Amino acid sequence: MSIHIYAPDGAVGAPPVQLAPARPVLRGLRIGVLDNAKPNARLLMVRAAEQVAARTGAVLALVTDKGPGGNAATPCTPEVFDRLVREVDLVFTGSAD
Amino acid sequence: MVADATELLELLDASPESVMEFFDDRGWGDGLPLVPPTAERVDAMLEACAGEDPDEVLAVLAPRFGECTRRMVAINAVLAGCRPDVMPVLVTSARALGRPELNLRGVNATTHPVAPLLIVHGAIAEQAAFNSGLGAFGPGNRANATTGRALRLVLLHVAGARPGPGDASTQGQPSKYSYCVAENLAASPWESYPRSLGIESASAITLHCGENPHNFHDMDTDRPGPILDKAASVMATLGANNAPIGQGEYFIGLGPEHAATIASHHWTRRDIQSYLYERARLPARLYRTQFSSLAWFPWMHEVPDDHLMPATGHPDNIKVFVVGGAGKHSCVIPSWGMTKSVTLAVEP
Repeated sequence: MSIHIYAPDGAVGAPPVQLAPARPVLRGLRIGVLDNAKPNARLLMVRAAEQVAARTGAVLALVTDKGPGGNAATPCTPEVFDRLVREVDLVFTGSAD
Repeated sequence: MVADATELLELLDASPESVMEFFDDRGWGDGLPLVPPTAERVDAMLEACAGEDPDEVLAVLAPRFGECTRRMVAINAVLAGCRPDVMPVLVTSARALGRPELNLRGVNATTHPVAPLLIVHGAIAEQAAFNSGLGAFGPGNRANATTGRALRLVLLHVAGARPGPGDASTQGQPSKYSYCVAENLAASPWESYPRSLGIESASAITLHCGENPHNFHDMDTDRPGPILDKAASVMATLGANNAPIGQGEYFIGLGPEHAATIASHHWTRRDIQSYLYERARLPARLYRTQFSSLAWFPWMHEVPDDHLMPATGHPDNIKVFVVGGAGKHSCVIPSWGMTKSVTLAVEP
């Protein structure tokens, strides 16, 4: 005997933010590193950003933490966010454990 | 897979084995047997919220950004084997999951094993026959088991918190199957936990995103200090995720006998919070040598190395409630750290 049931997952809402589109060419762009405070995150991301800059002609322009109280599980402060928007064209962030 | 919430899917064979296969094939379920969410069963569940819009979006749950409605709650409540009388608890819990301070995105993104503990308070705990007494964290009570399970199914299905793509927990923990108790108000010497926060509702729920309970026992003393010193030693451990985090919360689930002993010396809930804040400490040096990154409040960075640093930055982060039955056992439930518990009055 067949039965009919509801799916348990439902509709997907709009994500609260949209990621900016990736830049196809990095030459001349300013790279920022947003340190999320995971152990060694700054070391890893700065090294990666330096190598990307050297290979593409981009520039490592800003390295920052997330601001007072910021950590891997919370957003950066609005002041840090605004500074990133003003001073860089792409951001490295999000190193995990 | 995303399906229309109102779309009915056909199962050609309604045997329990086929139902499990159907869900398993689609990446749904928690690995345990499920009750098929037919229209009749879901409608019966929604009767507990009569007069309310079944498709109102109660919260949008990360990381999938699934829209959690009463209907979705009801579908997952059916799957879990709930009785309809727990629906208001689940609907309110869904709202709590969406509160920003709970940080559900972080809860599901972390490699820590964190799971939301659902604590049911007040009249609805009695009406829906939740277990607040002996073995409350364990098996054998339908309301506790199925309500906690339904909340997990909401997380798996609506929030998309499947291990791997939606839940990065390194090892998981058993409480990710079901994690629900009731506050034992009848055996509590103090006002209800929600009332201590200023919530004057007959029924309420708390969600606390934390670790499994860490037991402590004291069978010897008739004074508060030795009982709470054991709680303090459980709190002040370097292995807890809260250790390098200043804002971490600790729920202290006191067994009724420990609570009675403490209250017999005229201690209030605030006295317990203050005592544990003072006693759950380790030298600042130890934290500094063990952790390269300390998510502390600014003042915590300024104290000298030999200062005894509290396990959490403020006594209010220590939450006290009574749960369990006869015996000399209590527990500490550390939070994941980057989350705040949420307590809400129950709404349909």
